[in-house]
Amino acid sequence: MIEVRNVNKSFGDKHVLKDINATFKPGNVNMIIGRSGSGKTVLLKSIIGLHVPETGDIFFDGREFIRANMKFKREIRQEIGMVFQGGALFTSQTVEENIMFPLNLFTNWSKAEKLKRVNFCLERVNIQNANHLYPSEISGGMQKRVSIARAISLNPKYLFCDEPNSGLDPQTAILIDRLIKEITIEYDITTIVNTHDMNSVMEAGDSINYIHEGQNWWQGGREDIFNSDNIELNQFVFASELCKKIKKVSG
Amino acid sequence: MRLLTTIGKYFVLMSSVFAKPVKLRIFIKRVLEEVEQIGMDSIWIVSIVSIFMGAVLTLQVAINFEAPYIPRYLIGLSARDTMILEFSSTIICLILAGKVGSNIASEIGTMRITEQIDALEIMGINSANYLILPKITAAIISFPVLNLLSIILGIAGGYLVSAATGVVSVYDYIYGLNYLFVPFYVTYSLIKICVFSVIITSVSSFHGYYTFGGALEVGKSSTRAVVYSIILILLFNLILTQLLLT
Ligand SMILES: Nc1ncnc2c1ncn2[C@@H]1O[C@H](COP(=O)(O)OP(=O)(O)OP(=O)(O)O)[C@@H](O)[C@H]1O
Ligand SMILES: [Mg+2]
Repeated sequence: MIEVRNVNKSFGDKHVLKDINATFKPGNVNMIIGRSGSGKTVLLKSIIGLHVPETGDIFFDGREFIRANMKFKREIRQEIGMVFQGGALFTSQTVEENIMFPLNLFTNWSKAEKLKRVNFCLERVNIQNANHLYPSEISGGMQKRVSIARAISLNPKYLFCDEPNSGLDPQTAILIDRLIKEITIEYDITTIVNTHDMNSVMEAGDSINYIHEGQNWWQGGREDIFNSDNIELNQFVFASELCKKIKKVSG
Repeated sequence: MRLLTTIGKYFVLMSSVFAKPVKLRIFIKRVLEEVEQIGMDSIWIVSIVSIFMGAVLTLQVAINFEAPYIPRYLIGLSARDTMILEFSSTIICLILAGKVGSNIASEIGTMRITEQIDALEIMGINSANYLILPKITAAIISFPVLNLLSIILGIAGGYLVSAATGVVSVYDYIYGLNYLFVPFYVTYSLIKICVFSVIITSVSSFHGYYTFGGALEVGKSSTRAVVYSIILILLFNLILTQLLLT
């Protein structure tokens, strides 16, 4: 479980995160949704300490994170898997080396054991025969999936995904949503996913936080999202004709 | 004031660079990779530049010292001392600042803007230590070798030109090489190149590490890395010469 308490973050005089409170439960795909520029990425990066918030506390299963020393932070981070908005694969390493990278550093497994784990993770994200290719040699969708494989290679307790399916075709996007959902349930991971894609929300979201101009404007379950009377949320959700129709049919 | 904060930031970064690596085996592997990239890949340019400069220096001195009362062996001596004292350390490092420095800054800068450094941090890795320490270590190992190589090839270049053109007899040239040889000059040269190797790798890494923005900024960082490395090399050349030779 991850708890976010009263987090504020500014860049210069630009107040990006305004007193955010949220709780993210294990075994759930927790979604952070909001318009472009609302502060989703900044929130995600603040939770894992890539940005340092001015005020507030963050607890990973009760362990205070923001003010912890670097050594303790690194220990917690070894339990974290992260899929960056751009993938962030190591371009100088092959797909196999990318996924093996955390294993090399943090396990004492034999080469054969590590290879087995790598292939297991690749299978998990549906990638075959790409072990020796470089990130530049595979498609964007594959890069995202390899990035997920790398994030789960050490069996993380916490998984963070920043727009894991942006820029992908709808079919691949759904595969990735389902994959994240399956992994989350299977290993009881606390998963946080940033997205502005309503399809993802419907496919995988368990609990949803709607961020509006840096504030946690609304939170609730997937079912509640269509029946809310929150104006800004409705504007976001029913921006597409499709969602309007769904509302009409179901409502 | 900005200079002061930059220097402060530099030392803060260095304090996380000089930490114990997570695994010694991986560290050694990284150092070897970097020795190849920083050291081995520089051999050809150092060789070419040294041979030609050794040859030209000898030629220049031979032509300009054509008075009868100047002993001819001074040509060999001056070729030797110029190579050892300044050329093989300072000039070679100015060249390497361009080649190695820009390479390091753009590599690390690209890793920064594509979030690869963030990815390392999120895995619980000290990214500065993981990326930069092997580069500094590799440079400290390989630059002195390049230094010696440059001295030998520079002197050989002078030998070749004297044998080929006869501006000075080979006998005089070799006599000059052995005349009043001060072994400490080689030590001085090695000390200098060790300091310069740390300057080039750490300053370039620093500029790469603090790149923010896009591809354009990576280019700017890499230019800054070269410029600052060169200025610091010249400054430290002055300081070290004052400390060691006077
Ligand atoms: N390093 C930074 N320095 C200054 N301002 C920043 C920085 N990072 C983000 N911001 C600002 O914070 C705001 C929120 O940005 P953020 O990246 O979190 O948006 P987002 O919700 O993730 O958008 P998107 O859906 O487009 O990814 C933006 O207005 C952005 O300009
Ligand atoms: Mg974002």
